[in-house]
Amino acid sequence: MSLVEVVLALVKILVIIGFCLNMSALTTWADRRQSAMLQHRVGPNRAVINLPSFVIQGALATPGLLLGAVAALGIGGAASPAAAMERMALGLQLTVFVVWFHLVVLSWRVHVKGPLNAFEAAIGSTLPRSYFFAGLFAHGAGIAVTSLLSQRLAAGLLPAASVYTGARVVGALLGALMAAIGIYAAMRIPKGTFGLRLAGTLHALADSVKMIFKEDFVPKNADKLLHSLAPMIAIFPALVVLAVVPFGSVLCFEDANKNGLFEFSDLAHVAPVMTRDAICAGHAVPLQIADLNVGILYLFAISSTGVIGAAIAGWSSDNKFSLLGGLRAASQMVSYEVAMGLSIMGLLVITSTLRLQPLVDWQNQNAWGVFVQPLGFLMFLAATAAETKRVPFDQPEGESEIVAGYFVEYSGFKWGMFMAGEYVEVITSSAILITLFFGGYSLPFLYADGVLVQIGDTVLFQYKMNHVAVTVLQSLTFFGKTILMAFFQVFFRWTLPRFRYDQLMKFGWTKLLPLAIANLVITGVGVVAIDQAGPGVQQGFALLGQLSQAVVALLLLAAPIALVWLLLRPVERTRFLHSTSTRFAAAAGGVKASPMQA
Amino acid sequence: MEPIDQDLDESELELPAEPMMLNMGPSHPAMHGTVRIVVELSGETITKADVQIGYLHRGFEKMCERGTWNQVFPYVDRLNYVSPMLCNVGYALAVEKLLGITVPERCQYYRVMLGELARVADHLTCNGAMAMELGAFTPFLYFIRAREMIWEILEEETGARLTHSFGRVGGMAKPPTPFFKRMVSETLPVVMKLVADGEKLLLKNRIFLDRLEGVGAISKEDAIALGWTGPTLRSTGCAYDVRRAHPYLVYDRLEFDVPVGTTGDNYDRFMVRGEEMRQSIRILEQSLEQMPDDGPINVDDPRIILPEKQDVYTTIEATIQHFKIVMEGIKVPAGEVYSYTEGGNGELGFYIVSDGSGTPYRMRIRPPCFAVVQGLEQLIVGGMIPDVVPTFGSLNMIGGECDH
Repeated sequence: MSLVEVVLALVKILVIIGFCLNMSALTTWADRRQSAMLQHRVGPNRAVINLPSFVIQGALATPGLLLGAVAALGIGGAASPAAAMERMALGLQLTVFVVWFHLVVLSWRVHVKGPLNAFEAAIGSTLPRSYFFAGLFAHGAGIAVTSLLSQRLAAGLLPAASVYTGARVVGALLGALMAAIGIYAAMRIPKGTFGLRLAGTLHALADSVKMIFKEDFVPKNADKLLHSLAPMIAIFPALVVLAVVPFGSVLCFEDANKNGLFEFSDLAHVAPVMTRDAICAGHAVPLQIADLNVGILYLFAISSTGVIGAAIAGWSSDNKFSLLGGLRAASQMVSYEVAMGLSIMGLLVITSTLRLQPLVDWQNQNAWGVFVQPLGFLMFLAATAAETKRVPFDQPEGESEIVAGYFVEYSGFKWGMFMAGEYVEVITSSAILITLFFGGYSLPFLYADGVLVQIGDTVLFQYKMNHVAVTVLQSLTFFGKTILMAFFQVFFRWTLPRFRYDQLMKFGWTKLLPLAIANLVITGVGVVAIDQAGPGVQQGFALLGQLSQAVVALLLLAAPIALVWLLLRPVERTRFLHSTSTRFAAAAGGVKASPMQA
Repeated sequence: MEPIDQDLDESELELPAEPMMLNMGPSHPAMHGTVRIVVELSGETITKADVQIGYLHRGFEKMCERGTWNQVFPYVDRLNYVSPMLCNVGYALAVEKLLGITVPERCQYYRVMLGELARVADHLTCNGAMAMELGAFTPFLYFIRAREMIWEILEEETGARLTHSFGRVGGMAKPPTPFFKRMVSETLPVVMKLVADGEKLLLKNRIFLDRLEGVGAISKEDAIALGWTGPTLRSTGCAYDVRRAHPYLVYDRLEFDVPVGTTGDNYDRFMVRGEEMRQSIRILEQSLEQMPDDGPINVDDPRIILPEKQDVYTTIEATIQHFKIVMEGIKVPAGEVYSYTEGGNGELGFYIVSDGSGTPYRMRIRPPCFAVVQGLEQLIVGGMIPDVVPTFGSLNMIGGECDH
């Protein structure tokens, strides 16, 4: 292992740990924000950094100016007419996006806070949703126009000079727009100091800082050593589990100096393009911390040690409630470990690998795990919730039964470590869930050489992309999917009651385990049957897999539209004033939630 | 080969174990700060339980002997502090029974309506809190939002959200506000919808049902032997409701059903309370139609009812009357009486002894919770620690009432 590889490994570790810790704070925030939304409260928002407004103005204007300059230069300077055409198309789409997005934001602000001037009043007179739909229409029109133009260019009907001019015009337009938006946003900031709250996400950060300075209380008769050791044991496995989870495919560097050794000078030479099967000729850097050949076994081995922290905490605290919590944690996690392991065996039989990178590649080539093993996914989801001790499997904490369970005697930073550990577990379990069942870092029809939409033998769409773009897209996909899955897991929290301890055990041993075994047997029979069947059947399955990818791709396109459509619905609030006090309050300008409410 | 444990007695195979004593409460999230349960555990199974009440004991009965008859109202507010209006009405009826007077019809409807609003609020709190203690937070908020609307009506009518002190011997402190009927008729559908939404979240949830069904069951005979009344008794299948069995006020003119359960477990208690809310809303809807829009609210007896403030300042008779009622209190004829009404948790009885002076000679209350909590030990022994939470929650133990 050369020095470069060591440095790269350290960078990867830092990226993963940074992601986990930041996301655990953000998930805590999301959790509290949801509870606040249910109660019509403001939510966590008390942490604020007071900055002079010129700092904020600079922070708003600089990216606009910079991005604008990059856009103007990048889109304008193309080498060939075809490339210029491509850049023009991209620039046009970006321009449309920038315009409608900022109109939506501005219109929404005007609706919430009122206009500052006549321009804003004019913008705000239209609903945000209308801007969004107009933007979608403009996107479609832009695609139609550019494809027509590129056809004419290919047929030689369009002079190359006009394409260059078009690209420059689009680039200049985009650059000017971005700069103007940045400057206008900076102008909207009033003079004086500006309280930076970042939608309350700073609150989670402030909480973690606060925890460091709080009293570290250790009960008199507690086992001092174990009491301090337990939180560390609890958080450690949650962090190291992600070592085998790939957050991207392979990053390939060319052997530039032809000496066969991986040196720092090679880092500048990323392979420009890859073939479809992603074979790297130079130095391959897998985008995962450790590519173990026992991948999934490592994952289970490490994640099951998390229970030791909870059990030791429960034992060493010298409290009967925490003892009960520790016992519950131990028995629950040991029981669900079995079902958890067996529930993904079906998937492993189908993909016939224990390593996670080939597993993701298999899902990319065929179909996502959730389509192949829907039952396995549901069982794994349930078992994961039990492993992470989240509702409805939060018996070890069970605040209304055993007060706070195993961490009832913890305070300050040790308590913070338990909490952070819990949320890091949510993140890691989300990462594992998406790696196993939602295609990990892969996007449908995105391969190492670009996008290729193919159903059966007919190619519907093809678009070549370079290696860096594909890798960046895949990494972003992985982190984005993980965040979505983590927020989805947080959603469970507020409606489900918790199981009783014995019902939980019964559910694990008498329902989940036999189901997992049945799933494994059926999958095994199915795999053998398909292997024995003729090529027709196998082709049919391949077609089904491609269809599933197509469904996912369509859903991915439809989901943001549906989301925006739902989020930007005009809100109709009917106020129900019947008592004197509410009528008085309404007459005096309404009741406003105090910003001090957290 | 023979099995190795052939000669061994069953008990020798087990490790020596001793039971664990665990204090649940009084500062425990599910105990509402008002009760302590000392449980003896074998694993998580409860083998023995000792329910200790009295953490909210304030000498209510003795306090009542200090003031005049009307000064007792603030104390009864704090009996069942989840439905204080029912306690107000119950106490007023008791003193009126001793006085031998009946309040005007309009006041009777007014009392029924305020009381039924309080009953809905009571049941909403109980069912909501029970769901929350099981971990389901959202239904709790639905129920509490509905309760908030009811409390707004009560606040508008009485001036206080919780401790209304609104009853008076011989009537009410104030006549209904002009908005009263409109507020109630506007609020009822919203409350119904919120209750339906909240219950939909719970009653289709397998986990919630598993936690309730068959847990904390009690037979009809046991419940009667323990002296249970109210929703907890009705959940065992015994259709005893004071409003139906011994109608007071105008309950004999109103149509409502008495919901009963079958097994007397937590699920039945939850469902009985849910159905009683609907019946209360039925009563409210009928009362809205039947309640006269004008007419006296207080009895026409200057020895019992305070004169108008205007008259107190302008006429000597009213000034003297005001002075005598405030300083000496109403003269209630010597004697003793037991009067009982249907409170939020069951039969709320007042046993009053008067020596003919302006102050109660002896006051004894029969709180429904006291009898109900007696049965808690029987319900939770043999169950597990998590069962204590819904069982205790569904009994709706109110410390102020229980520790009279």
